Amino acid sequence: MGASIPQLLVNGVALGAAYALIALGFVLVINAVGAVNFAQGDLVMAGGFVAVTITEYLTPWANDNLPDLAFIGPRASAVGLGLVILPLTMVVMAVLGLLFSALAYAPLRHRPPVSVFISTIAVGLILQHGANAVFGPEPRVGPPLVVDGNFALGPITLSIQQLSVIFAAGCLITGTGLLLSRSQLGRQLRAVAQDPEMAEAIGISAGHCIAITFALAVALAGSAGMLLSNQFFVAPSDGGLFMLKAYIAVTVGGWGRLDGAAFAALLIGVFEVMMAAFVSYVMAEALLYAGVLLVLLVRPSGLLRETIQRRT
Amino acid sequence: MKAGSLRNVGIMAALLIAPVAFALSAGGYEQRIMTLAGIYAIAVLGYQLIFGRLGALSLAQGSFFGIGAYTTGLLGIHLDWAFPASFLASLIIPAAIACIIAIPVLRLESHYFALATLGISQIALLVGVNWTEGTGGANGLYGVPPLRILGTALDSSEAMLVVVWCVLASAVLAFSWLVKGRAAHRLTLLREAPEAAVTAGIDIGARRLSLFVASAAFGGAAGALQAHSIGVVSPAVLEFQVMVSILAMTVIGGRGHPAGAILGAVLLVHLPEWFRFLEAHYLVAYGAALLVAVIIMPEGLAGLFRRWLVTQERWAPEPPRTSKPEVPTTLAVLHLVGLCKRYGGVVALDNVSITVVPGEILGLIGPNGSGKSTLINVASGLQTLDAGEIRLGNLDLTGMPAHGRARVGLSRTFQTPVQALGLSPLESVLAACPAGLDERRAERHAAACLSAAGLTAPAVPTTSLSPAEARRLDLARALASGPAVLLLDEPAAGLTPAERDDLACCLKHLTDSGLGLLLVDHTMDFLLPLADRVICLATGSVVAEGPPSMVARDPAAIAAYFGEPPP
Repeated sequence: MGASIPQLLVNGVALGAAYALIALGFVLVINAVGAVNFAQGDLVMAGGFVAVTITEYLTPWANDNLPDLAFIGPRASAVGLGLVILPLTMVVMAVLGLLFSALAYAPLRHRPPVSVFISTIAVGLILQHGANAVFGPEPRVGPPLVVDGNFALGPITLSIQQLSVIFAAGCLITGTGLLLSRSQLGRQLRAVAQDPEMAEAIGISAGHCIAITFALAVALAGSAGMLLSNQFFVAPSDGGLFMLKAYIAVTVGGWGRLDGAAFAALLIGVFEVMMAAFVSYVMAEALLYAGVLLVLLVRPSGLLRETIQRRT
Repeated sequence: MKAGSLRNVGIMAALLIAPVAFALSAGGYEQRIMTLAGIYAIAVLGYQLIFGRLGALSLAQGSFFGIGAYTTGLLGIHLDWAFPASFLASLIIPAAIACIIAIPVLRLESHYFALATLGISQIALLVGVNWTEGTGGANGLYGVPPLRILGTALDSSEAMLVVVWCVLASAVLAFSWLVKGRAAHRLTLLREAPEAAVTAGIDIGARRLSLFVASAAFGGAAGALQAHSIGVVSPAVLEFQVMVSILAMTVIGGRGHPAGAILGAVLLVHLPEWFRFLEAHYLVAYGAALLVAVIIMPEGLAGLFRRWLVTQERWAPEPPRTSKPEVPTTLAVLHLVGLCKRYGGVVALDNVSITVVPGEILGLIGPNGSGKSTLINVASGLQTLDAGEIRLGNLDLTGMPAHGRARVGLSRTFQTPVQALGLSPLESVLAACPAGLDERRAERHAAACLSAAGLTAPAVPTTSLSPAEARRLDLARALASGPAVLLLDEPAAGLTPAERDDLACCLKHLTDSGLGLLLVDHTMDFLLPLADRVICLATGSVVAEGPPSMVARDPAAIAAYFGEPPP
């Protein structure tokens, strides 16, 4: 690769920031319904394909209707299109999230959390093999957020795409945090996550809140899918690894903790990129799994303190 | 043998023979498909043990399958090992690996258990793909020798089919042996009411270990047969897809009954045939079938036939002829010495010492948060102690796990009893009977405990017990392990006055045999007349102790609890 340390660091943070979005959605569902969403990774993949599809429709339109900014580059008319595609992807994914909640969670809400675990495995299978049937197994490239290319900062060359991914993910994470901590909707979502019965008793509809949580979680997964689809492409079988990273981030960061999960996800991204650059990608994967087993061996209840107890 | 069990045997025999007969008559292609179904059914049987019976969501069963396949492949190709040696090794190696990983993994809570087993299977897959010299890497191992029995190579599809289904039949027998009689009830109790199970003397760690190891051996056996059957072992056997297939077969077929393993495997192995129009994307149908099954058939296909399959003994309504428990009460004094317990900065117990002598009822009172429930929890071993000592007679229980305390004679009930709804009341109590009793004596003992606890309602399923009856069932279960001292956590809460009087009568009766009772309750007109002695706790310390009438007038107890002297 021959990349310099600052470049690798930017790579790692960009990957980690996208992981953090996935992990946030993962924890939101855990807190809301007490169940692991095994389809989270496949939803990331689905977000990537949604972004690819939207791009296919938007690019010809942009080429015809937007002024040609030839001085920027060959695909100049598509500059900044990603900034439209990202919110569009999130809206489509939020709708998918509502559907997901109605299909995989609502019929099972009175059953043990393990039923939801299994239903999300089933939805993951449907998404993965559905994408395979529609788009084929070959990886597809997604749109850049702003523009392809690098810019030089003294001797260091940095990728514009990765810096914009970091910026966008940072905005989304901060936005999610503000939504949950400052808005009335966020307070209601947290109330339902803590105690659905009590929330119902003070007039909050737990069912609606859980559906909104799923929509938010899936939209976050979709945003990560869009952000990752340019550099890493998107293929139907990608989901499993994303889900695992989120699962590990939540375990290391403290079950149910949003801040811990986001932070751990960031660390996992940096670790993965550094390890892959200096040793090998296989080693990075193996050490990650061995590491989480070690964490569970030493601290059977997770590395950081849990915020919720007795959930599946 | 009971009529129900005979019918069960008949159904299982039909389920084992019919698919083989059908495949033999249908030709080579169907034979290979049905062979695969038999192989998967063996892995699913193993998965039913750990997931269905114990309720632990392991995601490593697919890896045990793969490890079994690689064991057979490697031994057959590199070392010329043949059946049965290679087959045995394919059982033992996954089981040994399960044994090793069980140490960190089995004590984890369910969501971490799922992740840990998933991490282990990812590592197994990485090894399978990247250890090129050993496993052949992504290409896999070619030329696994066919199954040989007594020097004859079984390379025809008919022979393979018959051998696989014979192994499946033995696996069904092994499964039934592992969960026969009370063992099945204990597992249900562990799955549905873990705290009640542990405090009834059931060792959760030992059960988990034995079933996890057994499930790995079943998985390994299936993998070994798969390697022989197709002659190739590739990393595909370690991929998550295998695990998902096993999980789907278990959920769709049914989680607990061996019939479910066969139904699920036969159905799902044929699914790609029936969904041919989806071509390579039949896995979408897999996912859809799994989703539909988990939503509309929580008990799977076997659940639809539950009326014929399950031989649940209905609780005999007639009172047992002897109401004498089969396990006599041992007489022992319970010493709780200098108990200390804090939660962060909150001191729940501060140097509390209590003694319960045989045949006495010691009442424990105090305001909410004074440490009563904590005392019962640390004494029964559900919570750890910061300092202090717990002795029963000459035995030191301080470091003993909860199930060990129950076995040596310290038992408890719960403030909010959690019942195993999958068990009848009798089965619930049977699950708690000491392992040393044979089935007949255990049934007599359980019936005696039920009647001693005053549970005389007609035969009803556990789901329809009233709150008072549920408490009595909890009491009967606590009595079943043959305690010397019984800790009762608010047994009268939520009972009507008439039910309270009944309970008082029943508790008084229990002490006749020398059983000591530690009774926590807030209902003073129930507790004060019943207790021989009363201790009042406040903010983790004993503030008053003595005969009920004295404690009721004790200024410290009045200040801490009564507010005014009771009439």
